[in-house]
Amino acid sequence: MPQCVTKYHGNIEYQDEQVFQFPQGLPGFAGQRRFVPVEHPSTRPILFLQSLDTPELCFITLPVLVVNPAYRLAVSEEDLALLQLPTVRQPAIGTDVLCLAILTIQPHCATTANLLAPVVVNLRNRIAVQAVATDTSYSHQYPFLEPRQDREPEEVARCS
Amino acid sequence: MLVMSRRQGEAILIHGDIEIHILSVGRSKVRIGIKAPREVPVVAREIELVQKENAEAAATHSSEVLSAAIAGILDIANDRSSR
Repeated sequence: MPQCVTKYHGNIEYQDEQVFQFPQGLPGFAGQRRFVPVEHPSTRPILFLQSLDTPELCFITLPVLVVNPAYRLAVSEEDLALLQLPTVRQPAIGTDVLCLAILTIQPHCATTANLLAPVVVNLRNRIAVQAVATDTSYSHQYPFLEPRQDREPEEVARCS
Repeated sequence: MLVMSRRQGEAILIHGDIEIHILSVGRSKVRIGIKAPREVPVVAREIELVQKENAEAAATHSSEVLSAAIAGILDIANDRSSR
């Protein structure tokens, strides 16, 4: 079985069928095409998206419905075509696609989830895209976790 | 901000070498064609937001900050899934 070095889990073995293929990479990471999802029983339902090309690159994600149970997909026709999905309707989360929100952790600030651009993975072929939603009001910095209550006021001021 | 009115088929020229063409105008959408030198990056504004957010999300944190954040995330996630 192939192995890779990960940012958070040391060396791991993975199967080729597990790999998510991003034909266009991700915004800001256009060259990163292959990611393997890593789960650990102690941190479920967090899914770590580990780059196979760059060991230091790993996104921390949660299923989008855990972040916001009422989330509605708004994937553009271009992205649906890239995923090789029908462009006439939105795919169903859980049956057609896996939908993950990338989390941003910042010391002393709220952990936020990117609901503007979820990672959408076609469950049939593992093709993936970070789908920047069109015509939605979801934020790229959806406040998911408030900062700890014991922080200093000046630390809070630094959060944008 | 400079505001100009343009009709379908018309264009705007910026800096002598960037052309913005109004291809079609729909009820709520405008299709725009952009001709620019290869070295000029052109992205939709929300893509730029996502690029910056991805860079933040990929940052490396101390193990203290990371484990505190993960513990907090799991508290909320497990609370939600048990409801």
